[in-house]
Amino acid sequence: MSSHREAPEMAKDPVADSTDVYAFVSPDRPSTVTLIANYIPFQAPDGGPNFYEFGDDVAYDINISNKGKGQADLTYRFRFHTKVRDPKTFLYNTGPITGIHDTTWNRPQFYSVTRIRNGRAKTLASHLPCPPVNVGPRSTPDYPHLADQGVHKIGRRRVFAGQRVDAFHVDLGSVFDLGTLRPFQHLHLIPMADAPGRNSLQAFNVHSIALQVPISEITRAGTVPTNPAKPGAVVGVWASASRRKSRMFDKSEGRYVGHGPWEQVSRLGNPLFNEVITPMAHKDVWNARHPRGDAMFAKYVDHPELARLLPVLYPGVFPHLAAYHKARADLHAILLTGIPSGVVPGFQNYTGTVESDMLRLNVAVPPSSSPDSMGLLGGDAAGFPNGRRIGDDVVAIELRAVAGVTIPLVDPSFTPDGAAGVLTDGTSEVAGGSTGTFPYLGNPNGGFQTEPGTSAVS
Amino acid sequence: MSDTSRRKLLAAGGAGVAAGAVGLTLPSAQAAGAPRTTSSAREAVVAYVHDHRSSEVRLMVGEREVVVHDRDLATRILNAAGGN
Repeated sequence: MSSHREAPEMAKDPVADSTDVYAFVSPDRPSTVTLIANYIPFQAPDGGPNFYEFGDDVAYDINISNKGKGQADLTYRFRFHTKVRDPKTFLYNTGPITGIHDTTWNRPQFYSVTRIRNGRAKTLASHLPCPPVNVGPRSTPDYPHLADQGVHKIGRRRVFAGQRVDAFHVDLGSVFDLGTLRPFQHLHLIPMADAPGRNSLQAFNVHSIALQVPISEITRAGTVPTNPAKPGAVVGVWASASRRKSRMFDKSEGRYVGHGPWEQVSRLGNPLFNEVITPMAHKDVWNARHPRGDAMFAKYVDHPELARLLPVLYPGVFPHLAAYHKARADLHAILLTGIPSGVVPGFQNYTGTVESDMLRLNVAVPPSSSPDSMGLLGGDAAGFPNGRRIGDDVVAIELRAVAGVTIPLVDPSFTPDGAAGVLTDGTSEVAGGSTGTFPYLGNPNGGFQTEPGTSAVS
Repeated sequence: MSDTSRRKLLAAGGAGVAAGAVGLTLPSAQAAGAPRTTSSAREAVVAYVHDHRSSEVRLMVGEREVVVHDRDLATRILNAAGGN
């Protein structure tokens, strides 16, 4: 998966678990960039009575690097606080919630947005209400209305924080059963008949923080670049979550109380980096570090374990990949420095020599009128790894890249194996994809509508 | 370690030990000798001695971490933690 439960410690702390990050020039407002950070994976929509919510004890950050140093030159911090309106009831809601301010919603959640730039923090907004979760047709009868009320304007910015459908798709049951790709499993070391992929995230929700800001607010020069070749057109983006350094259990309150500074416990830039590049023994450390220090992980990018496993798991399918022993300069560029000019005609998202895992978005590349889910591999420079859109099939893109299809970009002597260009886990977007308008991710699946034991919600 | 930092720890440490499992109370003379200043913390403080061989004491206060190096202070905390 992109980063759902990707590290041993973070798997035990879902409220702080960054699952996906998206960054793209807004297709319906191309003078702006939309940044989305999702948290809290695998939300069963019927997970009551205490439904999912952001952590009041977590600081959620969307970070921007625009000076090429792999460090946060600009951070948007989101802090939440939860209120219990009626302490005498066990109910999440005491009647239908028809509006975001309805007192029938017993556990509303609010948040603040703070911008941190050059070490100075400025509160942009506070006490913004989240929408409730999608409980069901009696409790949240008009969910689209509630979600619409959760979109707030802060000057020229828009912001939303609340439950959304998880649009990421991957066949976890297959991939982590010894690297199986169901559509090709007759070729696996332990063969079985080919089968369609199964989206393990089908019908699950996440909690999403979406922020739409003018392009000029996040670029180095404070301008709106129009020439994709200019270095100032590229920004690095990653999400993170932090907890207080010390937590003490307060028996009188029945909860933990935080003390001391905020310490990062989760981060996410490129999808699947910590998931399948970083060895398990280092995943927790990776989560606690900042992108500027990622040089220590570069060896895992240059010689990825997955590239060694593919020829073993699929005997005879990847002979060229098996014989390739050079450092993977293609992956190094895609994941750690950005793609320099001259590699892909007319495109670059290079941020300099500092090796850092970030999504790199060239904001001068306009949105595509006909997006290709294979992104840059499909000839669509507005998609991953130029930032990441909701519909980008990052599992297939990264599978193919690791399998060698991008090696010729930097080493023309290499011919990819035939299978590399068609690799996929067999899943596709079934959550509705992008809605086309902010906050782009679709409304969450409803609890009442959930059919336990299936992947269906209706 | 500054006097201010030491007094912060003593104030918080005394309260923490008193509420702890062993109910140990620090000698009153020590508390009496450490008057609080205007900059003294007015909130909960957590003290952390990571390495018992080190003189380092880390104090979590508000959203800050104060690192002090004081062998005597670290020793007194260790002794208190040991029930002495």
